[in-house]
Amino acid sequence: MTIKVLLIIFLGLGSGLAVGGGFVAFLAVLGIIPRLTQLTKTMKFIRFYEWGVVLGAVFGSWFTLNDQIFYLWDLVVLPVGLASGIFVGMLAAALTEVLNVFPILAKRIGIENKIVILVMAIVFGKIVGSLFQWIYFVK
Amino acid sequence: MEKSIYLRMRHRVLVQPNATIKIGQIVQISAEEKVAQEIKNIVIHQVSKKDKNIVVIDVMKVIDQIRRQFPQIDVQTVGPAQTIIEIAIKKRRFTPALFVAVWFLLFVGAALTMMNFHEDVSMREVHIRIYTMITGDEVLKPLLFQIPYSIGLGLGMILFFNHFFRKRLNEEPSPLEVEMFNYQQDLDNYLIITENKESMKHVDDN
Repeated sequence: MTIKVLLIIFLGLGSGLAVGGGFVAFLAVLGIIPRLTQLTKTMKFIRFYEWGVVLGAVFGSWFTLNDQIFYLWDLVVLPVGLASGIFVGMLAAALTEVLNVFPILAKRIGIENKIVILVMAIVFGKIVGSLFQWIYFVK
Repeated sequence: MEKSIYLRMRHRVLVQPNATIKIGQIVQISAEEKVAQEIKNIVIHQVSKKDKNIVVIDVMKVIDQIRRQFPQIDVQTVGPAQTIIEIAIKKRRFTPALFVAVWFLLFVGAALTMMNFHEDVSMREVHIRIYTMITGDEVLKPLLFQIPYSIGLGLGMILFFNHFFRKRLNEEPSPLEVEMFNYQQDLDNYLIITENKESMKHVDDN
């Protein structure tokens, strides 16, 4: 019995380590946190950002695995939704494939100076696509 | 007595079609005033039709020309070994129709990508779950969560490319500017090798 429990603890810890490591590696590759500290000029607090990510990951997995319900005020979901969106938007923007396409496209059609407008096309496309899906597309 | 001059090839130079390129245009020289003036006026290349829009001048060609006129001078080179000369043939005109087409393409593409991504990762179930987790209500369309989420998507991307804070206090470039620079650098490297006749000699060419 004790061996069983120990084995399960070991397995759980091992899987958690693998998934957590993968998540951090993914974040590190995309370089979102450095970009945020660069924008806000808060390089000093990068330690706290690390802990923010770690606690967020633990919080999210723990409470979803346990089906926890908080019974809070409805409007609390507004900032949570906005933050989720910004995070996913930054992820999408940071994917290097996206970054590689713009310079080539801009050079091909000869609009090196108007690249911002092309970025805006993607930005609005994302917003509209997402809104369309949630409001009309799903039943 | 032998004198040294130092020269450094400029990386990229833009000239008009049919221009006569002098050494002074493509090279920075550090030498005695008089010698430097004379070297700067040596003609190194005459741009013609068959050059198309890119010519690469190798540092060897420059040294060659200098030594022909000043055989006793010792030439020291610093930095890049060639200059890319871009000939300003009339730029392809900017066509609004093409631009609108590309814009539309990107717009629809981004929308489709987002929807596919959401389906792929079961974003809807996750949203419903989060909504229930916070408020305790089971809602099939948690728009209160999803509309800020959708706006956040765009905001996050803008934030990453930093287009809102156009007035930057520091000179750090945005990721897109770095990417544009890298792309240009790759193109230049390609041109340096392929357009430079000296660097690709076929030794047994028959």
